[in-house]
Amino acid sequence: MWEHLRELYAYRELVKNLVVRDLKLRYRNSALGFLWCLLNPLLMMVVFTIVFTVLLTNNSIQHFPVFILTGILAWNLHTTALLGAINSVVGNAALVQKVYFPREVLPIATVLSNAVNFLLSLVVLFGMIMLYRVPLSATVLLLPLVILVQVVFTVGLALFLAAVNVYFRDTASVLETLMLAWFFLTPIFYRIEDVFPLYSRLMYVLNPPASFIAAYRDILYYGGMTNLDFFSRTAATSLLVLVAGYVFFRRASRGFVEAL
Amino acid sequence: MPPAIRFDGVAKRYIIHHQRPRSFQEALVNMVHRRNGDREVFWALHDVSFSIEPGETVGIIGPNGSGKSTALKLISRIIEPTSGSVAVAGRVAALIELGAGFHPDLTGRENIYLLGSIMGISGREMDRRLSAIVEFAELERFIDTAVKHYSSGMYMRLGFSTAIHVDADVFLIDELLAVGDEHFQRKCLEAIQGFQQQGMTVVLVTHDLPLAGKFCPRTILLQQGHLLADGPTAGVLQQYLEVAAH
Ligand SMILES: Nc1ncnc2c1ncn2[C@@H]1O[C@H](COP(=O)(O)OP(=O)(O)O)[C@@H](O)[C@H]1O
Ligand SMILES: [Mg+2]
Repeated sequence: MWEHLRELYAYRELVKNLVVRDLKLRYRNSALGFLWCLLNPLLMMVVFTIVFTVLLTNNSIQHFPVFILTGILAWNLHTTALLGAINSVVGNAALVQKVYFPREVLPIATVLSNAVNFLLSLVVLFGMIMLYRVPLSATVLLLPLVILVQVVFTVGLALFLAAVNVYFRDTASVLETLMLAWFFLTPIFYRIEDVFPLYSRLMYVLNPPASFIAAYRDILYYGGMTNLDFFSRTAATSLLVLVAGYVFFRRASRGFVEAL
Repeated sequence: MPPAIRFDGVAKRYIIHHQRPRSFQEALVNMVHRRNGDREVFWALHDVSFSIEPGETVGIIGPNGSGKSTALKLISRIIEPTSGSVAVAGRVAALIELGAGFHPDLTGRENIYLLGSIMGISGREMDRRLSAIVEFAELERFIDTAVKHYSSGMYMRLGFSTAIHVDADVFLIDELLAVGDEHFQRKCLEAIQGFQQQGMTVVLVTHDLPLAGKFCPRTILLQQGHLLADGPTAGVLQQYLEVAAH
């Protein structure tokens, strides 16, 4: 395994180039590309805000647009990265069959390019935070750590899903459907404590994205400290998912060429 | 010095699933109907051993389906042997049409760099090779054009030219002459002669017996996955003609 990791490290420039390619293509083909990456979460924010504060007149959550935007951005990263990465090996079949390179760079690069996109879209969030004068504290400095933990988790899951999709091609469509259920089970437009007061602990444990979003909100919305004990458990889970996903992918990738 | 390529009792088995479920849906249907998907085992190589020294040029010939491409894929690590071992010293470059790795919306130049990094070559190294690659492909005027505007010939030339300018120790060629016009083929052959003179190892799979005779002092003959002969080309070609006559 160390040998494979060293090899992966030797191919770090490929990962970088694939990420750059993704971003270039995303932003080159439409002048609006970058603007869209900012507008899309804003539009969703407006829709959710109207639905939950005007139509349902639920005013218990302060600064609702900021509350919802933290959830939407983290969720967007989660869903775009996974749905992109799941097809990354199958979509590059011609290349995989012709040239040897560590195949894990494909899902990893897809997740990372979506992570860069996420970083860019944080501009919108900070804009809203300023607009609503949400008081933040120095705990904002923990943001890179929370992002890192989310990326670690997402890479692990992406590796697993991309490998399964080579053998069972409908994995991607199954995931697409599951994503909708997953969206509702994740506290994006609600607080877990309001909706599942008895099971909140369990909901966090079973659903790492719920924990990321809670951490993002602690530092970006409540402006307080996140529960470090809780957060380190989330980090440990993410790391475990990464290691398991990587080991699984390595084993599965030996048969990729014959299965593609 | 270790051999450039060493096959030690290599066997490769393909499993052909006539009804392998390709999706969860099919897997479920098979389960309900209690089909277990009959599979056929096919040995593409049996107990093949040879070793190629650095600087040698070796031809691999044999009828269709005899396992030549499988052997090359094993050397380039795209697939793994079912049993036995394959050891290769140094960097391997397969001179294949790499157009498959291109992205249509990127320019020729961007694609060259991307392909380079797929083959494990740093950007700095590609900087040094860029002009040679472009010149060889005869695409100076179009290098900053998106490759979706290339003709299929231009596409192929760029893919080949990138592959041929990689600094490798072992070059693999599978039916090189199947692609390109005569002018480009001649250039590729000259490039291969260049590799030979620089002391690189070359493995050439070909149907073109005169070509094998011209380029390869030594040739390996495969038939139905067995290594039938391995030695000076003239004798092996003779043997191949006898096999083919039967
Ligand atoms: N991925 C695969 N799955 C099943 N059978 C394969 C696969 N690849 C090659 N084969 C079979 O293995 C045999 C050898 O193939 P190959 O190495 O391509 O032969 P050659 O290049 O000498 O024509 C052929 O009979 C071919 O059908
Ligand atoms: Mg072949």
